[in-house]
Amino acid sequence: MDDPRRHAALIHKLDLPFPILSDPDRAAAIAPFGVADPKDPREIARPATVVVTPDGEEAFRVESRDFADRPPEDEVIERLGALGLPPTSQDRPATGPAEPGPKAMPVDALLPYYRGARFAVVALDRRHGIGDDAGAYVAQLDRYFEAMKSRA
Amino acid sequence: MPAPTFTLTDAAGQPWSLADHLDAAAVLVFLRGDW
Repeated sequence: MDDPRRHAALIHKLDLPFPILSDPDRAAAIAPFGVADPKDPREIARPATVVVTPDGEEAFRVESRDFADRPPEDEVIERLGALGLPPTSQDRPATGPAEPGPKAMPVDALLPYYRGARFAVVALDRRHGIGDDAGAYVAQLDRYFEAMKSRA
Repeated sequence: MPAPTFTLTDAAGQPWSLADHLDAAAVLVFLRGDW
């Protein structure tokens, strides 16, 4: 949804090896793939992963309920591996001018951000007994945390 | 089920088409952008 300048900044910040695409009016991919969030007034996408095979068929998809609900990467990678498709090489994405938006968080702030989010979810779970959803979110934050630590 | 085809703009401002990247499986990850 963001414009290419913000995506370029995100690619630089996280050293991402894959392209990020913009669908600013949600018409080219978000609507055709049926992943618009009906609860969001801007109808931006719910997090979703869709795997397309070389013959153009959708092999499988994993859709999240909201931004706090993400499938573990290992599950997606395991299902992808089960398709038995050959690997491909992909050039690192080219970027144009990079300009983070006003809400962009510096990379050094991500570790304390994840830690704070984790403490808040644990506290709310103790208070309200959220259960599995809280555990899944904490596990997700732990994966992000470890990924950022391994990057440092 | 056939996946919709599309062309979107990448971070270099260049068009990126799904049809040009199907030499192997393509993993499309939809994320909420507000960055």
